[in-house]
Amino acid sequence: MADNGSSSTSAVLSLNKFSNLECKNLHDYLRTRPQNILEKLYNHPTICLAVYRELPELARQYVIRILFVEQPVPQAVVASWGSQAFSKEHVYVSKVLSELSVWQEASIPGGLLGWILSPTFKKNLKITLLGGGKPWSMSSALDTDNKARDVAFLDSYSLERWECVLHYMVGSQQQEGISADAVRILLHAGLMKRDEEDGSPVITRQGFQFLLLDRHAQVWHFILQYLDTVEQRGLDLVECLTFLFQLSFSTLGKDYSTEGMSQGLLVFLQHLREFGLVYQRKRKAGRFYPTRLAINITSSAANKSAPVLDDDTHKGYIVVETNYRVYAYTDSNLQVALISLFTELMYRFPNLVVGVITRESVRQALRGGITADQIIGYLKQHAHEQMLQDSRNPLPPTVVDQIKLWELERNRLTYQEGVLYSQFLSQADYNVLKEYAQTNGHLIWSHKEKRTLVINKCAHDDVKKFWKRYSKGS
Amino acid sequence: MKMNNIELPAEQTPEFSSVDETSLIVVIFDSNPGQKLLRDNPHILTHCLDSIIAFSNSHLMQKAQNKLAVMACHSKKSEFIFPGSGKPLDVRQIDGQYETFTLVEKTIKQNLAKHLAGESPMLNTESLLAGAIAMALCYIARLQRSKSPGCMLNSRILVVTGSSDSAMQYMNYMNVFFTAQKQNVVIDVCALDQHLSLLQQGCDITGGLYLKIPQLQGLLQYLLWVFLPEPPIRQKLVLPPPAKVDYRAACFCHRELIDIGYVCSVCLSIFCKFSPICTTCHTVFKIPPLAVKAKKKKIKL
Repeated sequence: MADNGSSSTSAVLSLNKFSNLECKNLHDYLRTRPQNILEKLYNHPTICLAVYRELPELARQYVIRILFVEQPVPQAVVASWGSQAFSKEHVYVSKVLSELSVWQEASIPGGLLGWILSPTFKKNLKITLLGGGKPWSMSSALDTDNKARDVAFLDSYSLERWECVLHYMVGSQQQEGISADAVRILLHAGLMKRDEEDGSPVITRQGFQFLLLDRHAQVWHFILQYLDTVEQRGLDLVECLTFLFQLSFSTLGKDYSTEGMSQGLLVFLQHLREFGLVYQRKRKAGRFYPTRLAINITSSAANKSAPVLDDDTHKGYIVVETNYRVYAYTDSNLQVALISLFTELMYRFPNLVVGVITRESVRQALRGGITADQIIGYLKQHAHEQMLQDSRNPLPPTVVDQIKLWELERNRLTYQEGVLYSQFLSQADYNVLKEYAQTNGHLIWSHKEKRTLVINKCAHDDVKKFWKRYSKGS
Repeated sequence: MKMNNIELPAEQTPEFSSVDETSLIVVIFDSNPGQKLLRDNPHILTHCLDSIIAFSNSHLMQKAQNKLAVMACHSKKSEFIFPGSGKPLDVRQIDGQYETFTLVEKTIKQNLAKHLAGESPMLNTESLLAGAIAMALCYIARLQRSKSPGCMLNSRILVVTGSSDSAMQYMNYMNVFFTAQKQNVVIDVCALDQHLSLLQQGCDITGGLYLKIPQLQGLLQYLLWVFLPEPPIRQKLVLPPPAKVDYRAACFCHRELIDIGYVCSVCLSIFCKFSPICTTCHTVFKIPPLAVKAKKKKIKL
């Protein structure tokens, strides 16, 4: 017990030092943007569509119900749309809609408060749905590409580009093929840091957590970090975001024109090209193909399980057995490195790695700042097809529970600041003070024989006053 | 220091159950020119079509992975008008509309026009709704089979029709309703003109919604309000309560809805009059002796 206690104490302290990887979804990202940027963003139909899709389910229904209503709808009426049992969800949903300023409060003649959709948002969502307005920037007509690329080519291209970044992070074999710019973003994002000795970038613990995310989340997180630096590069944030969303709603395997794009956007396009979000044969080709990485980039957080595109084949390679053994059918060093973060590797064959999940191996990962959910999420997301036959729980529940329990056992201690009261002269004094603290809920711990009390720190003044009054009185 | 219990930090944002499923909707649009509604005023067809396209696109707008199929149903045959047969149209954006939505709109309009042009100007017969639902069920079954493992699909069928349901297709209706129930497919019905008692039974059996819309002008709003929420989130919304469903069966001899009739003890066919040979399974029955309890039992509903 003592051993346990001390080890978790130190772990907790070290955890506090390194903040965990924070992965925002679109909603969180937009919420932190200032109001005027939001308003500017809603001028683009694409962004309205992306925001709409990221709203909670109930909110989507609300918006579509009042999309064609021109006057404010009383709040009481909106509240009556949801059933009673889900009123909490209604409150939450209303908050989200207000936060994103999708709808605003408006007063209705008669003194009632009502909701009305933000006019810009409404107008542009209608344009997306029903047509009208101006076409998006990249859709000017193109003559057919005589060297058209098919989907399979684009897939392998984007995969290769992205793996390049990941490989660079873990520092495995391929060191070339990544630009100084990409390295700067990795450093900025805190996924890598300069080594103290030779100044070469090394991966941080956030970096490892980043590697455990699914591909979509990785791209999204990376792009968010990139967008943070966009303004320093002299690019316009709104313009870049708009373009990103346009890409996200484009069709895989189709070519789009670069005609009419501003100089800034062309630079942005080259950056996206480097990370494999778009394919361009030549810098000046005048056309580009969005790849799978870019498409539906915004829907990362909400739906991990459902593949968006029909031919989005699942390439799982991990089998987990109830005896905690992990079989990974892979020859990629990157994947082996990731698995070894939380398993103890036993054998390695040309196409297969066998490991076992043990308490020690998981605790080591936890100490490294990786959470149990991240481990489980990674195993789930790469589960072999055979494991997915039972679609409810692809992983053995015992293993999942055990990993969670191993995480919980590190959280056995909770800390509370307190003040120690001791050396009471009489048992009566002790009893009075204990009684008082107990009735007010300030007592943390007490020991009768030793006549000691521990009292909540914030209540110390109050208890002290009481004690003075009491001792004067007696 | 407190050592006893494990406390987890409270969640920052409340996690509400949200369905992480692909939602498939097959819209069956009854475009039979013979139906009363369209004979009276052919322009209603375009109005309905526009509403249905807007509704379909709203469905696709809900989630990126949502799927859509649209069928046109006639008196002679039913056809998928989206996704159409053959290669998808090559669409470039012409205005601010999302490319996919433009594709849906163009394909539906083009295929429906083709479909209507091929129609011989004929006598007015009823639309083969039961057949169309059967086709939709086949389509859904195929997608269910071909979906990648680990992906969840909830599917429903929405029938939008202005024609009346006759008991002529009673057997076919019942077959598709129970198949749908078994396949966990929800059938929703939006009646434009007349009350449809048979289809209402189908909605009740499969747990879908039935709505006879009071006025055609607001078709799109009715569709969006009532039929857009997918089955898993319907419980969170207040939707029209199920009305009393008329569960009368149609007899197999005259296709009339009856309250009391004769049931074949072998194949459970229903007849309004006693017949010595069951027309469905050819079982021979004795003519009931007078005043003795008949071999055929009377059923009461």
